[in-house]
Amino acid sequence: MTGPSPGGSPPPRLPPPPPADDIASWHRLHPLSPLVRAGRHLVGIGIFVILFLFANQRGSQTGHDLIVDLVVVALVLGAGLVSWLVTRWQVADGVLRIETGLVRRQSRRFPLSQVQAIDVVQTGLARVLGLAELRLRMAGADSSGGRLASLPLADAERLRQRLLSMAHAPGTAAAGPPAATSGVAGQAARPERPLFRVRSGRLAAAIALSRTGVFAGVVIAALLAVIAAIGRPGVTASLLPVVIGVALTVWRQFNGEFGTAVSAAPEGLRLRSGLVQTTAETIRPGRVQAVRLVEPLAWRLFGWCRLEVDVAGPRQRRENRSEAQRLRALVPVGSRADAERMLGELLAAPPWPTRRAPARARWKAPLAYHFLAWDGDDRYVVASRGRVCRKTTWVPLEKVQSIRWVQGPVQRRLSLASVRLDVAGRRVTASLADREAAEAQQILAGLPDLARAARHGGRASRGAVNRA
Amino acid sequence: MSVAEPDTSAEPGDAGIRWQRPSPLLLRARRIQVGLVTAPVALAGGLIAAAAGSPALGLGIGLGLVAAGLLWERFLARRVAAWGYAERQDDLMVRRGVLIRRQSVVPYGRMQFIDVTAGPVERSLGLATLRMHTAAAASDARIPGLDRAQAAKLRDQLAALGEAQAAGL
Repeated sequence: MTGPSPGGSPPPRLPPPPPADDIASWHRLHPLSPLVRAGRHLVGIGIFVILFLFANQRGSQTGHDLIVDLVVVALVLGAGLVSWLVTRWQVADGVLRIETGLVRRQSRRFPLSQVQAIDVVQTGLARVLGLAELRLRMAGADSSGGRLASLPLADAERLRQRLLSMAHAPGTAAAGPPAATSGVAGQAARPERPLFRVRSGRLAAAIALSRTGVFAGVVIAALLAVIAAIGRPGVTASLLPVVIGVALTVWRQFNGEFGTAVSAAPEGLRLRSGLVQTTAETIRPGRVQAVRLVEPLAWRLFGWCRLEVDVAGPRQRRENRSEAQRLRALVPVGSRADAERMLGELLAAPPWPTRRAPARARWKAPLAYHFLAWDGDDRYVVASRGRVCRKTTWVPLEKVQSIRWVQGPVQRRLSLASVRLDVAGRRVTASLADREAAEAQQILAGLPDLARAARHGGRASRGAVNRA
Repeated sequence: MSVAEPDTSAEPGDAGIRWQRPSPLLLRARRIQVGLVTAPVALAGGLIAAAAGSPALGLGIGLGLVAAGLLWERFLARRVAAWGYAERQDDLMVRRGVLIRRQSVVPYGRMQFIDVTAGPVERSLGLATLRMHTAAAASDARIPGLDRAQAAKLRDQLAALGEAQAAGL
């Protein structure tokens, strides 16, 4: 039931009708989607079955356990099958509609004009079967974006293209299919311009030198030493899960960022990454809320850095919560030149932090003082901070949600103050820390007006993304 | 809107900002809250200490906790006095804090939604807290201790302004 059926059945059906009109009717997901969705559980159950077989080789309970497991597998698959049967989707009038639910019917509408980004995600099993999941990221604060799991990979890519082009021009999508299709065809014909590709060796080295890597290394070494010193099987069995868990976090980061490739496409920056589970997403121009350049101490020795962007809308999945905390790394690790080139693609002529904090800020922030700086023009504000790891954050003024002025007791004594600019998303804040009190007041008084001007006038002069 | 008197006791750079104050009843609400926390804590602490040690120890600990509550109360007046908000042409400004002073500027166009909440103590005094939410999780703009009618009025006013200037993301 694996190999030929997913690859075999869709292609004959799809190419003949032009994809323009076929998405307006109701569609089902791919028949193998329940299998993919249950994949994680199946793997777990499979491991348990094998463990039980080993453990109870002589026991008479084996058959019984196996039956229980098989019943569980059948239930999971059955539930998946029912959910597949009652799920259907449709794109009409610039709205993606997903209907699902057997007992509680649920019909969800996703207006394409509010889509922030669309990702194509392939889990390991889906990759084997040639399937992919389409995820719509909306601007809302909850994680309930639209998910279409699963579609054949080619369909998913094509649908993503179409939805994105409709998201740009909802009017054409509603009015005339011919216009929409020609637009897509015209855009698809323009080649993508590759911008960056991470080097695998460097990524491995960089993760090993990062805080995660060093921490994991220390923990694993300590635990292995304990295991070797004590050497009793009971201790080993209880510590091994910890080792595996720590190793998994490192692996997850490596897996997620492996082979990161960024290219400039007509609809935005295309980002692909992943070793086992691959992700392809598009960062639309004008959706970038903040850009951050991170330079940990160990990386600075090699001249490496990391460039991350924050795009509105959460990227949350239950299974990788750690991923949700991080920003999207356009350059997981690269040279300074790589990062600057990417920065130039994201922002037009960004300023660099040159205005240092006053010397007396050294009393308040002795470790961070050497990195405290900011600058700004009428479009961006940039601020850098950090003790051993320098973090430089760019925020487009048109994206600023609120501005906060903060003065703690020590700062008041030294007549300093900080100003923070909040943008939508996961707590990214440009912090203009420890400025002269008068300067901070001036910033607080002046920035709201600048931000408003940028909001109103900034539509035309958005980031330089996809200016080919 | 009896509270709309301009305030002169402010930080430098405040020129031209007309700060408005929460209702004077806010101080009473805060005092009641402190009392509601202090009394049971002092009683429980005293009883436990009396049961475990001697009655004298219990009395001492109970009185100590009451004293701590009174000390806390001393700071309330300053903290309540530090609250202020100003409706400017394009944004709302909120300030608060004594030890750590904060001022937030939230453009009307960035407001996603506005909450008006009232806890039991606030409700009994006819007060309410207004809270503005933007798309940024870190934004923190709330005004406690507004007269309930005034809170409703301010909410509608802000909502209308937000709609007029809505800027999306």
